[in-house]
Amino acid sequence: MVHRTIRVGGLTRVEGEGALLVRARDGRVNDLQLRIYEPPRFFEALLRGRAFTEPPDITARICGICPVAYQMSACQALESICGVTVDGPLRDLRLLLYYGEWIESHALHIYLLHAPDFLGYPSGIAMARDHRAVVERGLALKKAGNDLVAAVGGRAIHPVNVRLGGFHRLPDLRGLSERLEHALTLALETVDWVSGFDFPDVEHDYRFLALTHPDEYAILSGDLPGFPVDEWPLHITEEQVPHSTALHSRLDGRRGYLTGPLARYNLNFAKLSPRAREAASALGPVCLNPYKSIVVRAIETVHACDESLRILDRYKPPDAPTVPVEPRPGVGHGASEAPRGTLLHRYRIDDDGLIAEADIVPPTAQNQARIEDDLRVLVEPRLGLPVPELTALCERAIRNHDPCISCSAHFLELCLEQ
Amino acid sequence: MDVVLASLEPLIRALREGGHTVVGPTVRDGVIRFAELSSAADLPAGWRDEQEPGRYRLHASSGPAEVFGFAASPDSVKRYTHPPRSSLFRWIEDTAVETPVEAPRLALLGVRACDLAAIAVQDRVFLGGRHPDEAYRARREALFLIAVTCSTPGGTCFCASMGSGPRATTGFDVALTELADGFLAEPGTARGRDLLAALPHRPATEDDREAAERIESTAAARMGRRVDLDGIRERLVEQRESPLWDEIASRCLMCASCTMVCPTCFCVTTEDADDERFERWDSCFTLGFTELGGEPVRSSGGARYRQWLTHKFSTWVDQFGTYGCVGCGRCVTWCPAGIDLTEELRAVTEEAGTRDVTTQGTEASATVSTALERLR
Amino acid sequence: MKKLAVWKFASCDGCQLTLLDCEDELLTVAARIEIAHFAEASSVSSPGPYDLSLVEGSISTPEDRERIRHVRRISKHLVTIGACATAGGIQALRETPALLPVVYARPGYIATLDRATPVSAHVPVDFELRGCPIDKRQLLEVIAAFLAGRRPVIPTHSVCVECKARGNPCVLVAHGTPCLGPVTQAGCGALCPAFNRGCFGCFGPMETPNPAALKITVESPWYTERSESAG
Ligand code: SF4
Ligand code: SF4
Ligand code: SF4
Repeated sequence: MVHRTIRVGGLTRVEGEGALLVRARDGRVNDLQLRIYEPPRFFEALLRGRAFTEPPDITARICGICPVAYQMSACQALESICGVTVDGPLRDLRLLLYYGEWIESHALHIYLLHAPDFLGYPSGIAMARDHRAVVERGLALKKAGNDLVAAVGGRAIHPVNVRLGGFHRLPDLRGLSERLEHALTLALETVDWVSGFDFPDVEHDYRFLALTHPDEYAILSGDLPGFPVDEWPLHITEEQVPHSTALHSRLDGRRGYLTGPLARYNLNFAKLSPRAREAASALGPVCLNPYKSIVVRAIETVHACDESLRILDRYKPPDAPTVPVEPRPGVGHGASEAPRGTLLHRYRIDDDGLIAEADIVPPTAQNQARIEDDLRVLVEPRLGLPVPELTALCERAIRNHDPCISCSAHFLELCLEQ
Repeated sequence: MDVVLASLEPLIRALREGGHTVVGPTVRDGVIRFAELSSAADLPAGWRDEQEPGRYRLHASSGPAEVFGFAASPDSVKRYTHPPRSSLFRWIEDTAVETPVEAPRLALLGVRACDLAAIAVQDRVFLGGRHPDEAYRARREALFLIAVTCSTPGGTCFCASMGSGPRATTGFDVALTELADGFLAEPGTARGRDLLAALPHRPATEDDREAAERIESTAAARMGRRVDLDGIRERLVEQRESPLWDEIASRCLMCASCTMVCPTCFCVTTEDADDERFERWDSCFTLGFTELGGEPVRSSGGARYRQWLTHKFSTWVDQFGTYGCVGCGRCVTWCPAGIDLTEELRAVTEEAGTRDVTTQGTEASATVSTALERLR
Repeated sequence: MKKLAVWKFASCDGCQLTLLDCEDELLTVAARIEIAHFAEASSVSSPGPYDLSLVEGSISTPEDRERIRHVRRISKHLVTIGACATAGGIQALRETPALLPVVYARPGYIATLDRATPVSAHVPVDFELRGCPIDKRQLLEVIAAFLAGRRPVIPTHSVCVECKARGNPCVLVAHGTPCLGPVTQAGCGALCPAFNRGCFGCFGPMETPNPAALKITVESPWYTERSESAG
């Protein structure tokens, strides 16, 4: 029986930092914990007692990588309480804003965080030394996404133009189509590029959670598998675990389900835009290999560019930038597809128009248990490997899921006991 | 030769066809402001503004749809003659390469007498000295100016007491006065005359001219505010030590909005971005602007307000031979704290004893502390 | 080559993402300064000391208090980036520990300080860059100034200066919309008023803020009437 404790400095190239604890005995993993030490920021509590109009601006600050997702889930939850639906051109503007965030976030992850794993570099910047043109293409794609967010929302991080009922001001969309045409070309090249990587031969039997919509590759609205959005608290429950400041989620009582690009792709493949489906023909409609999530992200980027172009084409400015929203007491739910997966919000508004309760379930918290399962499968047969090598493998496996640890986590360290 | 134009459409079309970008007042974002016009339909016919210290509102008028029934816009001509930010030069290798001046051919339609007076002040500032500003000159020379007589001065206007309005007498290519059935148009330059001659018109009659004069005198009598210029230069300088400066500062936000909207304020600073140097608007109200050797020279708000007001009504005359104020009232309307320069000027320069400074001070600080309490 | 480190405490990652959002400049910056520690972007970290540390996030746990002291020890220059690091940020709105039971069923697991505090409450800070998030032009200026050995040129005047330069009509004067622009430091380019909303102060107080004067304005009786065409 061997006992060993090894510490390896933080988990990197995820949006944040993290640690992993593995306890093994006689070649078997007894315990595996993805540790999350993000200093808690208490958003749900600090929202209480604030005006019902404030959550979009405040919850955006939960995550600087996907602020739009927070704004959209919050708006929809609150609007549902107030009996307001935002549709037509205003919904189109929301979609544009959201696609901008997808393009930006996916390009960031593909080029600067994930691809270096496949090509053997410690970072996108280091990769640029040998592959400058490739990294520049990634940055140009990312910039196109940021430009789209900034055009509709005012700025790329924490956009200021979003409000309940729509927007503060109708945006100026001139010039965006040309830029997105170019981005679409770059995104198609990205699919080709990442499809040529060497992928470990792994498949997992995932349980997926993602929005589905009758007409769209769902991003802004739809149903969850088997239940409508306003029933999510009945199906998704959170539990606190001692090793983490993030809460772990269960779906219908069972831990370990997956949300994010793989989930969307497998559930909604048929709804991809024509260009995206064409780009996906090599991968096919089913993808259970987490390493290939990089290809799925690239395909979703094509979809986002393609759909944005279609919206820009049909967009006619509405008469007003917003529909009026008056507070009503009640409870409401909102869900939308952040780049990393389904982001769930629930609020209660009291008689004075103030927030009485807020519940937010970010995608990374939902995926945490599933990431642990991926890691268990990875680590057990490789316990004999030298630790640095094992660490690198684990980090890679974690990065497959693009965990936005700021939604939940920070400063993890790898600790292997065997 | 003055004429009467039935509509402004042919005027706008002729200017556009002549290669000008026509810029004039239009309703945008709850204000009447300058923007490119594609036709006379873009003009704010039927809109009236209401201007008070710290307050501006637009209303659809119930009476006849006058096209120019409003007063000064938030933006002045300064935006075009002396833009908020412009590139000076760019480092290419080790040499600074001057940025070519952009001087688009603009026709400004609907500038007021106070705007023209402000351009005259700017001309002295930028072109008068030994180092004329060639960029200003280029932009200035590219302008075609179409003035309009103010029929409805704003609540904060005082051009009549500054002797700069309400009717333009010089400095324009064409001057319009809106009559019941058209626009009396007088040329001010040869090119203005040529333009008018080419437009459909009828000759002006004595009745038209009398109507225009009536509009002018009614407007002059309806100025929302006035200042007393008699001995103002000396009276201001004598009040250097007045305790009122600090009292004003207790109400002032030091946000610099007044100097930004002022059509004559010309202070700038430079800033660098990448390898390019820019000039941009600055203000005597910012701390950084008064910095010398890392320390602000005028660190108190009172000193900065004093500098501004004294410059406008006293030291500007020493420097440039005119007042630095044309009476457009913009700084009064657009001050978020509603500080009224005409009122402060009166208070500061009134003889000592006519306003009880100590009580004033206490009252003001009482309001301030109540406000602060409520803010907590 | 000088060494740059980027650190994260309690925050949303938005400010450090701003560095990666400098798409046109990132590779040039990386050629002029070694990005030696940036966990969000690179899995190698070369050891300190570092010439310039950019710190994001507020300090809200006992471990973080120790960690920021360590960062200070190994950094020649320490610049805080963003409202979290400079002023405590949005999480400073919380009042713990009273809030704790609301989010976490069993508060015993979580160790926090009573408040989310700015970095300067713990260690000396060489420069504070404002904004939630910071502005990327200003971030590039801070790095350029550091490389040139001079103080960054970051205006500290009000948002109104930028607002007027941008040509926005003042939302406070013209629409009666509450706006913190007159008491807030510039840097964003007067973004919110450009979108017809009032500034909510994400760049923190300007050089000589006079909130009392603003309060009086906001309380004046005509304040809430709206212009007919304000939209
Ligand atoms: S200051 Fe704002 S943008 Fe920056 S890390 Fe904090 S919450 Fe995010
Ligand atoms: S809108 Fe706000 S920031 Fe802009 S000038 Fe008015 S008070 Fe200042
Ligand atoms: S206007 Fe104010 S709240 Fe809006 S981005 Fe600028 S500083 Fe932040």
